Amino acid sequence: MSKPIKSSEITPEALYLSRRRFIKNTLTMAAVSLYLSACGNQSPAGPTAQPTDSLPLPSAGASVDELGNTLTSYDDIIGYTNYYEFSTDKNGPTRLAQNFKTSPWSVEVGGYVNNARSFSIDELKSLFDQEERIYRMRCVEAWSMVIPWVGFSLHKLLEIVEPTSDARFVRFETLYDPDQMPGQRNSFFPFPYIEGLRLDEAMHDLTIMATGLYGRDLSPQNGAPLRLVVPWKYGFKSIKSIVKIDLVGEMPTSLWMASGPNEYGFYANVNPNVPHPRWSQATERRIGEGGRIDTLLFNGYEEEVAYLYDGMDLSIDF
Amino acid sequence: MKPTRGQLITAFLCLIPLAILFFEWRSGSLSANPIETLTQRTGRTAVILLLASLVCTPLRSMFGLSALLPIRKTLGLAAFGYAALHFLVFAGLDFEFNLGWIVPEIRQKFFIQIGLIALGLLIPLAITSVQKFQRGMAGNWRRLHRLVYPVMALVLWHYYLASKGDVLIPLIYLVIFAILMLFRIPPLSKISIGSKPRWLVRLNKFLLS
Repeated sequence: MSKPIKSSEITPEALYLSRRRFIKNTLTMAAVSLYLSACGNQSPAGPTAQPTDSLPLPSAGASVDELGNTLTSYDDIIGYTNYYEFSTDKNGPTRLAQNFKTSPWSVEVGGYVNNARSFSIDELKSLFDQEERIYRMRCVEAWSMVIPWVGFSLHKLLEIVEPTSDARFVRFETLYDPDQMPGQRNSFFPFPYIEGLRLDEAMHDLTIMATGLYGRDLSPQNGAPLRLVVPWKYGFKSIKSIVKIDLVGEMPTSLWMASGPNEYGFYANVNPNVPHPRWSQATERRIGEGGRIDTLLFNGYEEEVAYLYDGMDLSIDF
Repeated sequence: MKPTRGQLITAFLCLIPLAILFFEWRSGSLSANPIETLTQRTGRTAVILLLASLVCTPLRSMFGLSALLPIRKTLGLAAFGYAALHFLVFAGLDFEFNLGWIVPEIRQKFFIQIGLIALGLLIPLAITSVQKFQRGMAGNWRRLHRLVYPVMALVLWHYYLASKGDVLIPLIYLVIFAILMLFRIPPLSKISIGSKPRWLVRLNKFLLS
C-alpha cells in the first residue's frame, strides 16, 4: 500500500469517466436510432449492437488492489477470455457471445437446503448490496489480471437457502444451450461446465458471485449475468453464467477434473510450488504489463484463506 | 548455387507468416497476451512447413516434378527457422533468458523436452542442407535426413501435449503425416502418372530455372 502511485496507474479513473460518457452517448444514439426506426428509416449501424448496460454503479475509486497492482484495462478484460462454451480462442468469445441472452435469467438453488428456490438475476441484484471487490485473477495458463468485480459474497445467498447438516460441498453448473453456445458441441469436453467448492470455501467472505466489473454489467464473455469469483484459486474455478447451485454431500467432479484428472484437481488453489505439466505455476505474466512476476501462494490471499487447508498436503490435494 | 525460381517463390511464401506476425506485433493486435500468440503461431507455422516439406517427395515421384527437390530444402530450412524462432520466443521473450526460470521449466515439462529434442535433431539436418556438405556425404546424407520422420513425430507429440483439452488440430496433422508416410512405402510409393502432360513439363521447367 505504501508503494508510490505512478501516474500511469491513474488511467482506470479516466477510463471510468470516458466509459460513462460512452454509455451516455450510446444511450443517446440508441434513442435516436429507435426514433429513426419508428419513423420507418434505416437505423444507423453501430451503437444499437452494444449490450444494454445498466448505468455504472458508483465506483470505489481505487485504481490498484491492496498490494498496489494496477487494474487491468477494461478492454483487455473483455477482449481476452477463456470461455470454451463459445470458443477455445481467447478473442473468440468476445465475438461469439455478443447475442448471448442473459435476461430473463434465473438460478436454481437446491440440494441439501431448507429453502430450495430459484432466484431471478434482478432479485439477486436487489436482495444483496452490490459491492466492488478488486481481485487478482490468476489463470492456470500462467497469465493474470487485476479486476474490479461488482457482486456480493456467496455466503449471503447460502444463508437465505440454509444449507442442512448434510451439505458438505457446493456444486455449480453453467447454462447448457449449444444453440447459443456453439463451443458446447466440442466433444473434447463433457459440457455442461461444472465446478465445486467445499462448503467452508463457499462460505468464505472472499468468495463472491459477480454480476459486473468496472461498474458495468458483466459482458457475456466474462460470464454474464452471474459468475463465481474465487480469487485464491485458478481462474477456471470461477464458473460463468451459472444456472444451478446445489448443496451436495459428495465432492463434485468438475469439467476440468473429468477432462484432465492429472492436470486439474478439485481444489486448484494457486500454488507456485505445485507444477503443472503445461504452464509455469511459479511465475505469471500480468496482462497489459511486460515481463514475468512471481506467483504468490493462494494468489496473495494466504493470510485470509490458508487456514482452510490446515493439515492438508497441497501437492496431493492440488 | 543459384536458387531456383521455385525456391524463391517458396521462400517468399514462407516469409509471409513472419511478416504478418511482425506487423501485428508492431500494431499491438497480437491479442492481450502477445507472447502467447507469438509462441503458438511460430510453433504452428513450423509444424505446417515441416509437413509441407514431407509432401514434396511423394508429389515428385507421382508427377515427375524434379523442381520439388530444391523446394523441399527451402521448406525444411524455413520450418527450422520458425522452430528456432519458436524456441527463442520461449526462452527469450517469455522467460527472458533467465536460467533460473528456464531450467526448472525444462526439467518439469515433458512436452518441452520433446520439443527441444526435435529442435536439436533438426540442427544437423539444417546444416547438411547446404550443398557443399551434401557432396562429401553421398549415401549418408539420405540416411541422415530420414531423421525428419522421427522429428515430425516428436513435433506432433509436442504439439499434442501442449494443447489444452482440444487436440483436434494436432490429431488432424497426425493423420496427414500418417498418409504422407504411407506414400513412402509400396504400393502407394509406386504410383506415377507416367508421361507428363505438357503443362506439367513446362511448370517443372519454370520452377527449376
